[in-house]
Amino acid sequence: MQQRPIDKSGSRRNHAAGVRRPGWRAGTACALAFMLAWQPRPAAGWCAQSPAPPLSTEVFQAMQEALQQPYLDLFERADSLRFTPAQIEAMRKYLDRARDSCVRLYRQRAAGYQKERERTQAELKRRTASLEDPERRQIHCKIQNARILESQAQMLAEHAIPVAYENKKAKLELIEKWPEELKRIRAEIASGAYHQRRFGDVKDIGVRELVPGQERDVKDGQEAVRQLKMTGLLPPELDNAAIRKYVTDLAHKIGARSDLRVPLNVTVLNSKEINAFALPGGFLFVQRGLLEAVEDEAQLAGVIAHEIAHVTGRHGYKLMKRATIASIIYQAAQLAAVLLTGGAATLGTYYALQYGFYGLGLVLSLDLLGVSREFELEADQLGVQYAWNAGYDPSGFIRFFDRMATREGYVNGASWFRTHPPFYARMVQTRREMMFLPEKPGLIRDSDEFKRFKAELAKVTAQAQEEEKNKPSLLAPVQGCPAPEKIEYKPGQPIETICSPSGS
Amino acid sequence: MLALRFLTLLALAATAAEPPISLYLSVEDADQLVVGLGESNFRLYEDGRPVRFRLAEPENPILVTFLLEHSRSSWTYQSDIAAAIEAFLDAAPEGHWYSLVTFSHGSTVEVDFTRQKGELRAAYSALGAPMWQDIDTYDAVYDTLEKLEMLPGRRVLIFIGSGFDTLSARTLADVQKKIESVNVTIFAAGAGSSLRGIYEPYLGSTSRLNLIQAESFLNMLARKSGGQAWFPKFETAYRDIARAVFLTLQHQYRLVYESALPRDRKFHQIRVEAFRLSNDRRQDFKVRVREGWRR
Repeated sequence: MQQRPIDKSGSRRNHAAGVRRPGWRAGTACALAFMLAWQPRPAAGWCAQSPAPPLSTEVFQAMQEALQQPYLDLFERADSLRFTPAQIEAMRKYLDRARDSCVRLYRQRAAGYQKERERTQAELKRRTASLEDPERRQIHCKIQNARILESQAQMLAEHAIPVAYENKKAKLELIEKWPEELKRIRAEIASGAYHQRRFGDVKDIGVRELVPGQERDVKDGQEAVRQLKMTGLLPPELDNAAIRKYVTDLAHKIGARSDLRVPLNVTVLNSKEINAFALPGGFLFVQRGLLEAVEDEAQLAGVIAHEIAHVTGRHGYKLMKRATIASIIYQAAQLAAVLLTGGAATLGTYYALQYGFYGLGLVLSLDLLGVSREFELEADQLGVQYAWNAGYDPSGFIRFFDRMATREGYVNGASWFRTHPPFYARMVQTRREMMFLPEKPGLIRDSDEFKRFKAELAKVTAQAQEEEKNKPSLLAPVQGCPAPEKIEYKPGQPIETICSPSGS
Repeated sequence: MLALRFLTLLALAATAAEPPISLYLSVEDADQLVVGLGESNFRLYEDGRPVRFRLAEPENPILVTFLLEHSRSSWTYQSDIAAAIEAFLDAAPEGHWYSLVTFSHGSTVEVDFTRQKGELRAAYSALGAPMWQDIDTYDAVYDTLEKLEMLPGRRVLIFIGSGFDTLSARTLADVQKKIESVNVTIFAAGAGSSLRGIYEPYLGSTSRLNLIQAESFLNMLARKSGGQAWFPKFETAYRDIARAVFLTLQHQYRLVYESALPRDRKFHQIRVEAFRLSNDRRQDFKVRVREGWRR
């Protein structure tokens, strides 16, 4: 009998001492434990934790280790990793089960907190006339804490966990398929066939005609900006000349080495959302949260180049042929009225906003932004070309994407993963393009300007955080309550620890 | 005896821990705001006893909440409400915090505090047709005051609605007590200009009584909190009202003092005198200030 590993994401109690339990015994033990451990407050429900993996300890650990590697490392190492198709298939099934189990766990927790809240609210209603102030406050705090935990558990179950596991599965797919793909790429390079790929004429960037008529989009872009401002959807501009200049100069540098035919209009928005977007006609918006999240200049260049590619590819124009700008912005305003401004008036909304979970990226029409699965892949390819052509290390985009999906991404970057194509396809496509690009010495990854810009940004961030801390709120919690007993998620916490007993 | 001493100590401890009170007021002379008065131009009394105070800079930014009636029953004066919120948003100066709450059957926070007035405009224009016929004014005022009570700083509630109440769980007395216990200034812009203007001569006695009752309620909100209520007969008047509200807020005085009133849950009156001495003659002014506190 194979021994069960005691892994980071699995439960030690499920397979203590590495011995496999027969299914019925594990099920009975789980049911018994649940009955014994059940208590009125939401229970952790360990039987809902990650299932035991059907692999030997060594293989499982090796795979887990590989899945924690950044994409760029995996591209290098995939060839040397020796996993059989059966092992990969077993791991894929395990990841699916682990995701389902983890999602189920947090749905159960959310339901538990909801029940607790409803029970306490009923108690409050029953006793409202007889309650003295201190006790009433205590009950208010209890309801509030249940709401906080409920909303956090819901966010994890519905958004964070699925994205994190999707990313892991993409890496598994990469381990499985990349060696073959690499052979094909090398063969294409050897035969020169790669020159025939779509947008393969990289030496003609700036001169080639991608999609004619960019200048006709300017009017639509101007209208969209006007409408966005009128409806109050646009966050305020960042009031720091040095930061604005740095971002604008960088964007112009990339724009000048792209297929852009219209002037690039850059706006830096003072919002903690990790996002950047471009409207048709060359209106680029970069949000403060993105500037905080990037680790080096190449990462920022990669994201900006990707957005410029949406403009040069006229993706917005192609997607919104049937809708008017006014109707698109009106829809966004309606959605924003519910999502961004707490129209639902729930504390859950309040906490979602606190995390920067909802933002402009979630309400703006994807048609307007030119985002679809097909166009996203196209923008990835063109973005890599533009970053490279401007002299930046084109791996910046992959590194930033990886970081978003594995660490910050699953809560803070909800808008990033709104309709993006499968991670594997995006990563492979980007890597392929990087390999097809001609050698260029001295590609920039970081710079002194970037470091100075980051230092300036840190001051702005500190100021914004202070302001955020003091921001009044009608939806905010009862002041002065003790913090909830258990915080379900801390931004940056690795997904592996979320479903394990020690992580929660 | 020991118990009595213990209770006294407790009471003393409670008094010592209390933060000072900020009392906001405006001073008028023949409907004109009087500005530039100093500490020596004021006298403050709690239950008739003089209280020491200091004149302080008003707290800024102000937390302004617009409480808006949004009910199917308000269709006859919906245009008033729209005109009023437009006027207030146009007149609202930059730099303060603004929030928007609507009510019919229960209240909804449409926009939490923001410095971007555009968000309120967007939320208002995105409001769908009202779902409920109820106008639970008492509940809405009570709940909003309860939320504002939790927040620090200078708080202002701008009520835009008729003042009618159809099905509130709270009573008028509940609302009165709440206003008396929270430090929020309320301004009310009465909606229903068409009812008050064109149709008034044709209204039956019940409708007239309802109108009078609604007006009394809005007047009570203003009187108790040191604000003001208006009942315009024409939509165009809302622009002047909005300007007047923000001008008043800009020129309010702030008296800071430590109250000597006991925490007995009873209502205690306060009175402020404002005057100017010229050639040994005292010129008294009208002071718009809250009626008192329930502690």
